[in-house]
Amino acid sequence: MSSREDILGRVRRQLGRTPENAVRGRSAMEGYIAARAPGPHGIISGDLVSHFRDKSAALSSSVEDITDLAQAPAAIARYLASHGLPQQAVCWPRFAALDWKAAGLQVESRPTHGADLVGISGCFCALAETGTLMLCSGVDTPAALSLLPETHIAIVAAERIVAGMEEAWTLLRSELGEVPRAVNFISGPSRTGDIEQTIVLGAHGPYRVHILILGTP
Amino acid sequence: MQVRSMHFKARAGEKLADAQLQVNLGRAKSKFVDKRAHAILDLEDFEATRGAAKELRDLTLGDLDLWLERFETEATKRGATVLWARDGAEVCQMVIDIGRRHGVRKVTKSKSMLSEEAGLNQALGAAGIQPVETDLGEYILQINDNEPPSHIIAPVFHKSKEDVSALFARTHHLPPKTDIQEMTREAREVLRPHFLSAEMGISGGNFLVAETGSVALVTNEGNGRMVTTMPGVHVVITGIEKVIPTLEDLATLMRLLPRSATGQSISNYFSLLTGTARSGETDGPAHMYFILVDGGRADMVGGEFAEMLRCIRCGACMNHCPVYQAVGGHAYGWVYPGPMGSVLTPLFAGIENAIDLPQAATLCNQCGVVCPVKIPLPELLRRLREKQVEQRLRPRSERLALNLWSWVAQRPAWYALATKWAVRYLNWLAGGRANIPVLGVAPEWTLGRDFPAPEGRTFRELYAERQAKRGAR
Amino acid sequence: MRVGLFVTCLVDLMRPRIGFSALKLLETAGCEVVVPATQTCCGQPAYNSGDRANALALAKKVLSEFEDCDYVVAPSGSCAGTIRSHYVDLAGDEPGLAARMAKLSAKTYELTDFLVNVAKLQQVPGSYAGSITYHDSCAGLRELGVKAQPRALLAQMPGVRLREMSGAEDCCGFGGTFSLKFGAISAAIAEKKCADIAAADVDAVVLGDLGCMLNIEGKLSRMGAATKVLHVAEVLAGNLDQEER
Repeated sequence: MSSREDILGRVRRQLGRTPENAVRGRSAMEGYIAARAPGPHGIISGDLVSHFRDKSAALSSSVEDITDLAQAPAAIARYLASHGLPQQAVCWPRFAALDWKAAGLQVESRPTHGADLVGISGCFCALAETGTLMLCSGVDTPAALSLLPETHIAIVAAERIVAGMEEAWTLLRSELGEVPRAVNFISGPSRTGDIEQTIVLGAHGPYRVHILILGTP
Repeated sequence: MQVRSMHFKARAGEKLADAQLQVNLGRAKSKFVDKRAHAILDLEDFEATRGAAKELRDLTLGDLDLWLERFETEATKRGATVLWARDGAEVCQMVIDIGRRHGVRKVTKSKSMLSEEAGLNQALGAAGIQPVETDLGEYILQINDNEPPSHIIAPVFHKSKEDVSALFARTHHLPPKTDIQEMTREAREVLRPHFLSAEMGISGGNFLVAETGSVALVTNEGNGRMVTTMPGVHVVITGIEKVIPTLEDLATLMRLLPRSATGQSISNYFSLLTGTARSGETDGPAHMYFILVDGGRADMVGGEFAEMLRCIRCGACMNHCPVYQAVGGHAYGWVYPGPMGSVLTPLFAGIENAIDLPQAATLCNQCGVVCPVKIPLPELLRRLREKQVEQRLRPRSERLALNLWSWVAQRPAWYALATKWAVRYLNWLAGGRANIPVLGVAPEWTLGRDFPAPEGRTFRELYAERQAKRGAR
Repeated sequence: MRVGLFVTCLVDLMRPRIGFSALKLLETAGCEVVVPATQTCCGQPAYNSGDRANALALAKKVLSEFEDCDYVVAPSGSCAGTIRSHYVDLAGDEPGLAARMAKLSAKTYELTDFLVNVAKLQQVPGSYAGSITYHDSCAGLRELGVKAQPRALLAQMPGVRLREMSGAEDCCGFGGTFSLKFGAISAAIAEKKCADIAAADVDAVVLGDLGCMLNIEGKLSRMGAATKVLHVAEVLAGNLDQEER
């Protein structure tokens, strides 16, 4: 008997599984999945954008507003300069056409292989409830760019800030249909508290996360 | 991992006497307990969220075979291979087979308690595959001669920064750092090359989502993402009880897990991983395997300890447990410490191998009130105590004492006489003092505290006299 | 209201004055109090040790002694908790027994809970004056929801200055037979409780359970601390004259 049959067999026996109740059970299971019932929510005070801004700041991300995507290069150049960081980065393909040179930045649209210090990404959406970015992996949205560099800069469109995770799943299903390989929820710079329960920023992921909110109404 | 729970009492004694450990435990307690209390205020209705989490866990466990089959179908559809392992030995063999199939020489690991249960690192090492733990706490344990973790969320809860500094200096051959930030940076730099060169990544799984065949990973450091993004092979090792129905259920549990564990409203990184790299993607594994482990779980399904299977491994119970706060995690002698460990260890490793664990509890229920999925931990501990009585595993002296007490307590005349003598004897021992410093019949009590002297006469006697006086009037 | 006073074995043996204090409080509240003469133990030590047979034998005895009362009141959260929360479980499948146990459980109360929520005592007879802190016993708090009730009664006494201690709801380490089986761990937990009591800097710590009381009193004595340990019934009832004793 295979391990699979052994294990499932024991579970079935413990539950008193019969062919009849299996049919009923599967039907109930499909009904449950289709219903997609959400649980109780978290508290959101004020509008979604302000709540998102407050929660991001509480997680040690820095947040800045821009009204137009064309302002991003200058804003990012200012941010990097103010932290004494190099004026170069890698970015997602959707930002390749921005005028980086005019802002004095050397930005390449390619996957990162570990040596890049700054990564500029967008996001699929963001969660106001916890100040979280949601990134979906894909050909044009490589996951490593928000993970390997020491600095992660994310451009978030204000209308893509939703209330919580349930709203994000609904958006994902309606826009992407299929779940991508990796959905990464990012809430601030990486951190660890393993040594003496003292929180230190910059464990294996980025040391700092800077968020540009685009087009706050 | 080898079971050492039979040495609980002796180890607990050592831990109580370990002054540095006591300092470390005291510090950690306030951080986890206070932060959690603060974090749950963010929820509209914490109790309702707990209730919803309990319901969805029970629903899944009530049809676990069906949900597991659904998960298997969905995961397979998206390019993953789903394997089933009865025990730790099978887990190790499967991982080694996968490693050999893909020419793996090095494995990076993010936290997996199941791999601790199975003793996977030792097995990999013996098979010529180098395992590298990447969770900072697990890494520290690995380089300290594979020391076992003492807490399921904070594996080096028991260590001071001086301990870590000395360990790093010895292992990395670099000058010792005194600052925690510097030590963390050093670990980052030491581990980064391993992340980029390992052929296989092994992770645990906080949850398995049946709807989409996905695994959900909760981390703060980014190592979970590294381990599952960079290598060409990703293996997920997790228990069969971890499956949940939908993405919405995942959202509900994610409101409770980080808050209950570390007091965060959400963990830094929360990843939902589904299948292998899609065509054209530049990162992500080409091969993905799930190893669904039984290890004693199947036999608990639908039984008298089934509620324990709801556990989402947050660690809140041990953070709030007065016994864990006093002795730390190592005394428990296996993978899982604290209240949840005191229930799981006897069930997974054999009741007779962990006799003391369900006994070493005050049944205060500080654990039960914080459990995000409402597991009635004191009830389960008591049921394990009942099992010990049924299986005649209790010491003869204890059985005699309980039988004697019960026999006397059912016979009021005998009881009145026995108690009358007992209090007079104790009163005599006290010799006029308010407290008795040494009590031969209860040595465990008086080692650490005095025994207060009784008033000298029983309520029964005094009440009878009072009633007699009134009757006489 | 015909109230059966469940004295508890520890009060019977160690602190009869607490039994008489409970009696006085119930009578002050206007209850007709009966004290079944053959009562002994609720069976908690056996129940918590996993010995269901002995626990059930004692539970049946308690049932027979108290079944006829309108209420059963005990000056102890753990004993009241055993009767209220666990007797039905002990009854198991025995025909008719579970129903009778359920009736008994439903009318069993911890003393302060009864005085506040059932008897609605408006003025306690005691006149204690001094600073106190309150230790919330685990069974009383987490099984029976006893928290506000003792404080409400203590608030009726103008001389009492209540200062809450840090960790008031933390376990004191008694745990019944735990204190005899794992004495070192038990004493270590008790030490933390006593440190919290000392930090509150009060004349007395007040509580509602004999197990906690003996544990804390014994630890404070070993530590050489002068803080008094008082049962809430004694504080609320005040001095007992010869008649009441």
